[in-house]
Amino acid sequence: MAYLEAILINVAIYAIATLGLAIFTGYTGLFSLGHAAFMAVGAYAASILTYFYKVPFLIALLVGVVLSVLVSFLIGYPTLRARLRSDYFAIATLGFGEAVKVILENFDLTQGARGLPGIQKFSTLGNAFLLLAVAVILCRNFLRTTYGRKIIAIGQDPVAAEMIGIPLLSNQLLSLGISAGLAGLAGGLLAHYTTFIQPSIFSMDLSSLITAGVVCGGMGSLTGPVTAVALFVIIPELFRGFALWRLVFYGMLLVIIINWRPRGLFGYEELNRKNLPKLFSIVGITGGLSLFMPTYRWVIESRGYEIFALFVAGVTVGAVTGLFGLLGKGLSLALAPVAERYHSVRSRLGKRLTGLGEENEQALSSIKEHRFRETAPSKKVCPSDATFLAGKAADSKEGLFSGDPNAERGARSAGQHIESIGDAESGGPTYYRETSPILEVRELRKNFGGVVAVDGFSFYLNKGELLGLIGPNGSGKTTVFNLISSVYPVDGGTILFQDKDITEWGPTEVVGAGIARTFQNIRLFGSMTVLENVQAALHREGTYSLLEGFLQWPRSVPRVERRLRDESRRLLSIVGLEKESDRRASTLPYGLQRKLEIARALALRPRLLLLDEPAAGMNPREASELVELIQRIHRDEDLSIILIEHHMDVVMSLCPRILVLNFGRLIAEGTPEQIQGNPLVLQAYLGEKAYAVVR
Amino acid sequence: MFIQTIITGLSIGSVYALMAVGYSLVFSVLNFSNFAHGAIITLGAYIAWAVMVHYLQVPFFPALLLSMGGAGILAFLNERIAYSTLRRRRAPSLYLMISAMGVAISLQNLLYATIGAKLYALPPVFAMDVVHIGDLTISKMDIFAFVFSALTIAVLHLILIRTKVGVAIRAAAHDMEMVSVLGVNLDVLVGVLFFLAGSLGGMAGVFMGVKYMVYPSMGWITNKAYIGAVIGGLGSLPGAIVGGLLLGLLEALVSVSSLGGTSLSTYRDVFSFGILVILLIFKPTGFFGRHVEDKL
Repeated sequence: MAYLEAILINVAIYAIATLGLAIFTGYTGLFSLGHAAFMAVGAYAASILTYFYKVPFLIALLVGVVLSVLVSFLIGYPTLRARLRSDYFAIATLGFGEAVKVILENFDLTQGARGLPGIQKFSTLGNAFLLLAVAVILCRNFLRTTYGRKIIAIGQDPVAAEMIGIPLLSNQLLSLGISAGLAGLAGGLLAHYTTFIQPSIFSMDLSSLITAGVVCGGMGSLTGPVTAVALFVIIPELFRGFALWRLVFYGMLLVIIINWRPRGLFGYEELNRKNLPKLFSIVGITGGLSLFMPTYRWVIESRGYEIFALFVAGVTVGAVTGLFGLLGKGLSLALAPVAERYHSVRSRLGKRLTGLGEENEQALSSIKEHRFRETAPSKKVCPSDATFLAGKAADSKEGLFSGDPNAERGARSAGQHIESIGDAESGGPTYYRETSPILEVRELRKNFGGVVAVDGFSFYLNKGELLGLIGPNGSGKTTVFNLISSVYPVDGGTILFQDKDITEWGPTEVVGAGIARTFQNIRLFGSMTVLENVQAALHREGTYSLLEGFLQWPRSVPRVERRLRDESRRLLSIVGLEKESDRRASTLPYGLQRKLEIARALALRPRLLLLDEPAAGMNPREASELVELIQRIHRDEDLSIILIEHHMDVVMSLCPRILVLNFGRLIAEGTPEQIQGNPLVLQAYLGEKAYAVVR
Repeated sequence: MFIQTIITGLSIGSVYALMAVGYSLVFSVLNFSNFAHGAIITLGAYIAWAVMVHYLQVPFFPALLLSMGGAGILAFLNERIAYSTLRRRRAPSLYLMISAMGVAISLQNLLYATIGAKLYALPPVFAMDVVHIGDLTISKMDIFAFVFSALTIAVLHLILIRTKVGVAIRAAAHDMEMVSVLGVNLDVLVGVLFFLAGSLGGMAGVFMGVKYMVYPSMGWITNKAYIGAVIGGLGSLPGAIVGGLLLGLLEALVSVSSLGGTSLSTYRDVFSFGILVILLIFKPTGFFGRHVEDKL
């Protein structure tokens, strides 16, 4: 019995440590190869306290946890701030882990390499598993909050996360802190179970066991790594004769999993009814194999026929494997009604707890209705625009332009002076210019090595305008977006947004100011659902504290979360994706992914939206749908938009004013007609020779 | 005494450089830290032990050639088994690194499980021969290791500059995609690359074995040569050489110095790792590394 207890306590302790690494590595995508060092900090801190100072066990554990967290900030702050490549970060943590080990070996208080013997045995099966359960629940709660979603988003795509206003450093540190805290807890438990610690316990071997647990269990999962590490601890006990081969197999398993099944056991999902059979078959196969040798020996001893022994052993393995497989399937089926029942009870209970009774829901829906009425489009067409429309009606669907944005907004903001700059000579189209531009870019410059990507580009964007930005490939259009949204630092010039100089602002500040963007190469959070992608972008509106999030505090968290969900659904319905909300974003077809990017950008409540080739790769039907969508959001969400696009029909039908960029310089500006007739533009697109022929 | 220390440092540094070059070669083309290189180095040393001591009494030079060849083939197999799938799938470099870590863990523990943790000595090549120059006593093995390492790196340099494969490797270091579009068989190129890196590693392993001992963890992930390669700038050959030599020197100097009465030699490893972490933070590309930026 003591033997079984020993195994189970080890399972709990390593599971806590692995859970810690899972919440960091599994979600942020950054590998820490020095996690044993955090365990060492927790173990030494707790044992020194209980051993020399007779501090109560739980308090000592807590001190160990806090110290681990602080140490993790010490190593995490400089390395994460430097934005190391993910593999350099892994190497830095590895170096840190070794350094901690060497320091412990030469430190007086820790009694050097001799270690600390005679620590009291405080860890029991009960408190180890209790702490594991608490840790799992806290981590699960955490991931279901805005804080958790921020971390998941960063792991999926750091650039996109920053572009929806999630600061990387603080969130990565938060994740590392939680992770190190759990490692410290595991270390403290381990020390008070083995009653003897020395620096060599916390070696790279331990770090790699935990890492293997996370990789094999599946990144982006909590229960996966916990299950995997439990198997790692239990399975070697079944194969007693192969103790030395344990690490050989872990290493091989790492290679196999990362090569042929990178999502591991339960990657991006949790242990649930549907993958129970999988788990059971793994247990069955290993359990069966572990019986092979004993059975074989037993038959040999009693009968002596080798072939018969092999046969019996083989049958035993098969039978055990099959039995477990059936058991898994049966359990999975049997649990189906239970799970359904659980979900219905949970949702009912949740409603009662959050105090969101029917009245509140009614209020909520009435608010939604109200908002809908308010933003319902008015079908008012300004007469002076009709001339412009007439020119374009030939190649675009009629009715597309009902409720012109500029006209409507002009009427709404009565105080603002509007001047009409008509091209009187040609008698052609007209566009509006409000006196206060929302965005003003002056003499913008960017060099990449010797290549001048943007070369003194100046333009303005009026409030409520829909501006087109076109130009041949490599003309610097996307670079302009990257400079405005602060992906790259600016080499020269100024960017004014709403009369503030945002040139030197960081990406998240720019988003905070009200500039959102989409990407030319779609950058969604692939393994999140469609709904979660939008929820992640609503992170600023999660108004509860981190502590409330950890506890899923029933008075605040569910209400806020419900509001975020509803809001996300509303945003999805704007782009027509409400039916896809539970689908994984990466499984959406291309056109819908672009729409999701728009919905995610809208969740940032932007004043200015930068759309980078939203129609790329779309067929004409999809493109005309997109035109309709852009007009709708432009009108309903009170937005100013800059549109980069290669589909000329899209640009020409959407934008009353178009800028043409070539070699980072502005070569033309004007209405679609003016642009279409401009020889410089044709020359830029066709090249000089071809232009000569066309002319 | 000081000059003596410098010479010791240069000698061990040259072996580090030889090992570091293997890391850098692979990094320059495939952009990941091949942690398994350390295990290949160790296996190279074990091959020498097997043919010189355990099974046969092969003399030093044939044994050196054998372990270079053996280590080269092992490195080639390592790539085929653990990296080629990921490489073809264009997996993130982190995945390759994890796979390499798996190989390193597996191979090291394979040695523990089969041959055991015992330390084995390789027969001394030049016995205890020393050369006296004035006050200095320099062991012949140190001189030999230094000269031979320098020669080998020079030969590698020639291969990279003069031969067709070498040029292809250097081109691939800049743009692997382009090289494959130009009709170079990437599988062959990467195979040659790993064979070269592996055989250099094998040689370094033999030198290490002669100078110290042969044991399973001699090439563990956290070995000095790797740190040297990072300090010099992963992916750069001059960087690997400078980094290796620098670390050798530093180690030799730290071993003999003391601070306030306590010898610093116990903190030698903290120094190396400290330098590693600090350098990664302030200059992650090392002294000679190139800067790689992602395109949006």
